Amino acid sequence: MARRAPASPYAASAGARVTVIFEPAARALLLLHAVLGFTAVFTTTHHAVSSFLAARGRAVQRQLRRFGWMAPASLLAQALSGLALYPVYRVRVRFADLERSAPAVVQLFDLKEHLSALSLALVVGASLAGRALPSQAPPAEARSVAALSACGAALVWCAALIGLYVTARHPVGAP
Amino acid sequence: MKEVRAALWGVSAFAVGYLLPGPLRLPTLAYDPVARAAQVTADVGGVAIRYYGDLLWGSAAGLLAAALAWASGRAERPVTVLTCATLALVALDLAFYLSRLLASV
Repeated sequence: MARRAPASPYAASAGARVTVIFEPAARALLLLHAVLGFTAVFTTTHHAVSSFLAARGRAVQRQLRRFGWMAPASLLAQALSGLALYPVYRVRVRFADLERSAPAVVQLFDLKEHLSALSLALVVGASLAGRALPSQAPPAEARSVAALSACGAALVWCAALIGLYVTARHPVGAP
Repeated sequence: MKEVRAALWGVSAFAVGYLLPGPLRLPTLAYDPVARAAQVTADVGGVAIRYYGDLLWGSAAGLLAAALAWASGRAERPVTVLTCATLALVALDLAFYLSRLLASV
């Protein structure tokens, strides 16, 4: 009879020994994180398109003001849900499974966290600056907002795709 | 427009403040999810999470730089130069983290 490897102390079945914060709500938090992620992808993309149009001289101040609060609000909410979920991922997914079975995926997820942090700064900066752009904004300022917003949206897209890939391999809340 | 300059200084400082605590081994807030304890330390290892502390470093640096740029109101450098510098710092962060990913593959 084959001997079974000892269970990792971080495995989900070892919950009696280790209790991780927010673990009972992990699946609900993951769903919330995903929904907010899609919202953030769409709002940051819309903001990037609006700021690009503003840089080309189009009058899009209403869109810039509207997405100028929707984009950072959705991204901040997504980041907060992700930060709440992170300890469960760290213990139950990363240390219990991925570090042994797929170390490259661990590094990929770390990259996603850094992309998310940088995109947060870019989107918040672009949104605040974009809301202040007048209808006849100087071209250099409008292009600057467009550059910040486009880079922020691109990083949000990358982070979302990496997050989906890692979740497809081993979602938080699954054994 | 001082809003654009403040945003550019804020993003630049965030990129620097977020990147440096790790390589320079600066003390940062770390949370141990198994012990359920947070502490400020330069030596983060094992299951402990330093992401929260690095985010705090970056946010503090970004907010401080944006506030200073907003308060000073000076326009010493062209916005285009500031934008290029900001995006270069963000690209530097990306290159650093990508190099760590590629080194592990």
